[in-house]
Amino acid sequence: MPLADDGGPAARVTNLSVAYRTTPVLRRVDLDVPRGVVMGVVGPNGAGKSSLIKAMLGLVPPLAGEVEFFGRPLAKVRRRVGYMPQSATVDWDFPTTVRDVVTMGTYGGLGWFRRPGRPEHERAEEAMAQTGIDALAGRQIGELSGGQRQRVFLARALVQAPDLYFMDEPFQGVDAKSQQAIVAVLHLLREQGRTVVIVHHDLATVRDYCDHVTLLNQRVIASGPVAEAFTKEHIRSAYEVAAGDDFLEFTA
Amino acid sequence: MTPAEFFADHTFRMVLFGTSVIGLVAGALGSFAYLRKQSLISDVISHAALPGTLGAFLFTVLVLGADGRSMIALLTGAVLVGTISVLFANHVARVSKIRIDTAMAITLTIFFGAGMLLMRIITDRPFPGKGGIQDYLFGNASVITYADLVTSIGVGGLALVLMVVFWKEFALRTFDADHASVLGFGARTIDALMFGTIVIATIIGLKAVGLVLMVAFVVTPPAAARQWTRTLPGMVTLSGLIGAAGSGIGAYLSIVLGDVPTGPLIVLTLFGFFVLSVLLAPGRSIVTRALERARARRRLKAELSAP
Repeated sequence: MPLADDGGPAARVTNLSVAYRTTPVLRRVDLDVPRGVVMGVVGPNGAGKSSLIKAMLGLVPPLAGEVEFFGRPLAKVRRRVGYMPQSATVDWDFPTTVRDVVTMGTYGGLGWFRRPGRPEHERAEEAMAQTGIDALAGRQIGELSGGQRQRVFLARALVQAPDLYFMDEPFQGVDAKSQQAIVAVLHLLREQGRTVVIVHHDLATVRDYCDHVTLLNQRVIASGPVAEAFTKEHIRSAYEVAAGDDFLEFTA
Repeated sequence: MTPAEFFADHTFRMVLFGTSVIGLVAGALGSFAYLRKQSLISDVISHAALPGTLGAFLFTVLVLGADGRSMIALLTGAVLVGTISVLFANHVARVSKIRIDTAMAITLTIFFGAGMLLMRIITDRPFPGKGGIQDYLFGNASVITYADLVTSIGVGGLALVLMVVFWKEFALRTFDADHASVLGFGARTIDALMFGTIVIATIIGLKAVGLVLMVAFVVTPPAAARQWTRTLPGMVTLSGLIGAAGSGIGAYLSIVLGDVPTGPLIVLTLFGFFVLSVLLAPGRSIVTRALERARARRRLKAELSAP
């Protein structure tokens, strides 16, 4: 059972601060990600959304602060934590196929030395079917569209079967069909009681995709269920815009 | 000269097999340098291997009082200093605002400068066994001994075995470094192993090919192989084969043509493979892409101008 342990939040961030050289990007972030929710991390450019995820996953060294997953440090629970980076972070001209990339999601469970065998390949096939890219399995990854690339990354995260997913801009540069496929997976994960944290850009769709939201602009402006946290006031404060414009129509 | 005559000659056999082994190992492992966009790292390694080799020579002669031609001692020095140069270049790029290309160029020149100083010291003094030490600059394939061949096969084989054992980790880290870290595969460990194998692939060719041209063995075969293949195993295998074949053909030609240096002829042969690949490989190459494009445009034109 994925959820049998201390019952605390899926992730807890305490007093996390991050700086690139001398520029602070996150200041004293305290954040709980409750279990079984889809949480959107929303904020303007440069708010530190990706940095927050990267610092939580140990990819960026924090200045100070602590991060726990299911009450334990990341090193003890790596297999329960999955990561879907922005697709622009890799070289899509790499000589590899869709199937091989998706199979890479199983490597964490295998550890050093062991190679993927039949169970791993079967899980990769399942994950590809779930994201609707099974027909592309043998394709060179460079031949894929932006949306298909995102689905490859999503399948690579799914195949790991973690309890907590971090997705950095999963809807970036995605066509309608891929968007639909990704949303379907998000809903399925929520039904299964998994927890998902997505860095999200589009304020208009936050209510559709997320139950919880964290408004971020170097510090946490608000965090909680969408109905409480995703208010005009908080959004204005996060995006540093004055009252009276109509760019927040959809929130009310 | 007939092939039978060729293979009857011990020196010719050593040149052919020795360079082919070098080409195979460097071609296969060079694929990872290529895919990590650090192709020129092998040029840094080969230049840094000069002070490593000469330092090891001095150490063996002056401190151990042994014969300075010991292949193992010289290899160890080259691998050690070659590895330090890779770590140094990457470290400079990481901690400063200097980009990796500049960091590599700076590293290459300071290590090579140090090597030239040591070279002068050695040539000016009557050390025993210093004959042939200049070969490390431009290489001399005709001095490959049976022991050299065995050492190359042993050390190169070790590097290839490491690559096979850590295949999954190498592929993961090369494709998506962050993902590898999140899955719990330590970046430093994988990098140490990966660059260690690339160092070995570069070092084993120094004496035969010379440090100036060695980079071609690591860079050219992967660039050619990439044009034909769609998977990582395919690329590494083909690159190794192109390296071995190019080296073998080049070595054969250099001997048959008589009195032509082997290293440069191999580099030219490898370049031949590269040109053919870039021009003709299906899907990616200049000619096939142009043909495809012309065909598609003709079809489109016919379709759009149909009544």
